[in-house]
Parts: sequence; C-alpha cells; structure tokens
Amino acid sequence: MRSTLPVMVAFISGIVMVISFFFNPERTFLGRLQDDILQWVTIVGGFTLVLGVFSIVRVNARAVARKSEGWFFKLMTVVSVLAMALPSILPTSVNSAFGKLFYAIFPASWGSLFGTGPGSIYDTLFIYVDSPMMETMFATLAFYIASAAYRAFRARSAEALLLLLTACLVMLWRIPMGEAFLRLFSDSLPDYINMYVMNGFNLSVQRGIIIGAALGIASMSLRILLGIERTYMGKG
Amino acid sequence: MKFWDRVANIDRRWIYLMVAAAVFFPMIVVMKFPVELTPETRQLFNAIDSLPDSSVVMLTFDYYPSAMAETRPMSEAALRHMFSKNMKVVTLSNIPLGGPTIAESVTRAIAKEYGKVYGVDYVNLGYRANYVAVMHGLASSIESIFKSDFTGTSLKDLPLMDHVKNYRDIKFIFVVADNATIDYWISIVNAQYGVPVGGGVTAVVAPKMYAFVEARQLTGLLGGMKGAAEYEKMVKIAGSATRGMDSQSLVHLLIIFFVIVGNISFFITRRKDKGSA
Repeated sequence: MRSTLPVMVAFISGIVMVISFFFNPERTFLGRLQDDILQWVTIVGGFTLVLGVFSIVRVNARAVARKSEGWFFKLMTVVSVLAMALPSILPTSVNSAFGKLFYAIFPASWGSLFGTGPGSIYDTLFIYVDSPMMETMFATLAFYIASAAYRAFRARSAEALLLLLTACLVMLWRIPMGEAFLRLFSDSLPDYINMYVMNGFNLSVQRGIIIGAALGIASMSLRILLGIERTYMGKG
Repeated sequence: MKFWDRVANIDRRWIYLMVAAAVFFPMIVVMKFPVELTPETRQLFNAIDSLPDSSVVMLTFDYYPSAMAETRPMSEAALRHMFSKNMKVVTLSNIPLGGPTIAESVTRAIAKEYGKVYGVDYVNLGYRANYVAVMHGLASSIESIFKSDFTGTSLKDLPLMDHVKNYRDIKFIFVVADNATIDYWISIVNAQYGVPVGGGVTAVVAPKMYAFVEARQLTGLLGGMKGAAEYEKMVKIAGSATRGMDSQSLVHLLIIFFVIVGNISFFITRRKDKGSA
C-alpha cells in the first residue's frame, strides 16, 4: 500500500490535469477540478518549504550536539535560518489569534519589526547580510573565469580553436568598447555576429537541446503517470 | 626559467589583481562608450511602448540577489518605462529567497519617483510556492493563488485588483529572470494562454532564449548587463547597467587578452618541450 497509494495519487492527479486541460474552468466541473488541484499544489509546495527548514535545522542541530567536524559553521547555519525565518512568521499586528497572544507578552510597538515588510528584521538582514553575501559569491566567479581563461581555454584542436574565436567575438560584441572596435573592420560586423552566431549557430543548437529536453520531460511524465518511474518515492 | 615559462606559470593572484583593477579603473576614470542597440531589445521596448497608456502589465522578479547586478537594472528600467506611460503594474516573484523583497524595494522606490500609489497603480503579489502551478492557476483566477498581496492585505482591498482577475486582463508580461522560470512563462503562459511575454535574463541564460525570440514566443529579449544598458538607453536614463558597461568592457577585454597570452605561452612552451624531448 505504501507504494501503491502514491502511484494511484500521481496517476489520478496527472490524468485529471491532462483531461481537464480541454475543459472550460468556468463552466465545467472538470475544468474547476484543475484549479482545485493547482491550489493544492501551491499549498503542498508551501509545506515543502517548512519541511526544508525543519530538515536543515534538525540535521545541523544534531551535528552541533555531537560536536562533529565543522560544528561551529553548522551552528551558524541554524542561527541564520532561525534569524531569517522566525521574524518573517511572527505576527505584525493583533488581528489574528496568534497576534493577540504574542502582543499580550511583547510590546505592540515591536510589530513593525516583524513580517517581511520594509524596515523589518527580515528586510534588514536580507539587504545588509544575505544579499551582499550572495552577490559576493557570484562576483567571485569573474576572478575564476579570468584565471580559467588564462590556464584552461587552450586551442588544442581545430574545434577548440573555433570555439575560442567565437567566444572572443561574442565577448567583444557584448561590450560597447568591443562593438566600436569591431566596427573599425566593418560597420556590419556586430550585426553579422548577432545574425550568424547568436541567431544562427547558437539558435539551431539551442533549439535541438530544447526539443530534446522537452521530449525527455514528456517521456518522464508518462513514466510517472503510468507508475513505471518511482524514484520520487525514494525507490530506484 | 625562461620568459614564456614564467608567463605560463604566472601566480593566479596576479590575474585576480588585474581583474580587480579592471573593475575599479572605470569607477575612477569614466570612459562612456556608446551602447548600441540589438534588434531583440528594440522589439521588447516597442512591444511595451505600443501598448495603450494605462494598460495592466505584469512584471516578474524571478531572480536571486546574486544576479542583481544584471537583472535589477532591467526591472528598474522596465518600471520606469511602464510608469512613464501610466501603466498599472502587477509584480510577483517565483523565487522564495529574496524575490518578493527585491520586488518590494525596487517597485516602491521607482513608484515614489513617479508619484504612483500602491494598490491603485501597482500591486506586489509576493511569492507562492511551485511556479508551474502558480502560472496555470493565474489563468483562471489570480485570487485563487494569491489571496493577499506581499504585505498580507487582501486583494479585495486593493482597487487595482478589482478589474485584474486573470491573464485576460493583463496585456503583457515582462519576465526578469536568472533561471528556468522564463521557460515556463513562455511554454505555459504564452503558448497555452496566449499572453505576450517579453524577457530580461542574465547573460548565461540569454543564448537559450534566442530560439524563443525567433519563434515569436518571446517578444524581445534583454541579455545580461548589456541588454539592461540598452533598455536604459531606450528609456533615456543612465542607470547602473550603463555605468557598469565600462567595467564589463575592461574585464571582457582582459579575459580575451588572457586567452591570447595563455595560448601563445601554451604553444611556445609545448614546441620547446617537443624540441627537447
């Protein structure tokens, strides 16, 4: 039953979504059913977020309790998750039952600090801590790319040479200084790069990849609907 | 050790230092090379510009803070364009980490410049989990997916949402994304519900989008910081993307220089190794 029930749920939900696609949601029961299922999907999606937070706290808290290697960083992870998550779920006013209880204990003037609005604890942490850290991680890539350009981008074969030349042309084309440089040779050169490289070679290859991926998704969806693919239940 | 051997084995910290210098130099010496427009940018700008004033448009903030250097200027330029035409803007995000907060701060700041009122001229719906379900759900009823906006205010209390019920009331969707959500805006919202979708994406995502522009499933495209700078030029503002183009120019040139020098040293040292073997 533990494996049959999820397969049945997946089959029925999938089939309903496929069939109801052809029915008007405003006039037919099947059409409305699609809306109901979609609402359920967003609700379940919300719970998966809660599950994610719970899971990350549990795994890291266990490592901290055992003082395993790197426990201090794991502690910081737990503290960071709670610091962002707790203020964002605390009530900002006394309108709800939880709000009445909360502000019976804490001053009501603290309300503006909670939630995710401007000036809240969550907002401040996001703008001054989380956001700069993520941007820094991304910006660091530029240094690695430059280093890789020096050491790894080698014209070891004719294909690699072609790739290198195309990459250099596109990099030149994507900067104003490079465009001005390209126009020294021909006024149409930047337009040709757009036309032949981006809308030519690139487009045809991307189209092949997109169609291939779509066929893969379609076949995987069918396998899930028919119960052949069960890896989503943790089984091979 | 000979010169080319030394070049081939240069300490990577020198490379990092040169990249840092290339980024910081334009902040001291302003260069200002003219930004030229690509057809994809023109197409996107014209699509929004040709909409009647006061049309309802949707702007998505489907990007993480890490990609803000490229994507935030796109959102800002798009909002300026929309508000200058008195359009009504509905924003949302499919990114749980930061998306709605970025949407809130960017939209409120630009709206303030144009004297726009929250709830009347623009609304931030915030975030709901599972973007595929969200995109399908918005087709029949926005209220079925978003009961309230980002601040928790019920949609019934927001005058703008009185006449914005589903995709039929939205004239254009401007997707700013740094990930695959734009694929779904195209394949679900454009292909199945027929709403015109335009995109602003990071430079990494942009090459994939050309196929959709060519198929007219995507109405125009902004690619990376250059795309954002082009849009800024179209809306006649010198924003952070236009300023960032100088740094990006120098870093691109530096990378090309590294590729050339790295290959020269590779060939010379390889020939020497073959000769001595």
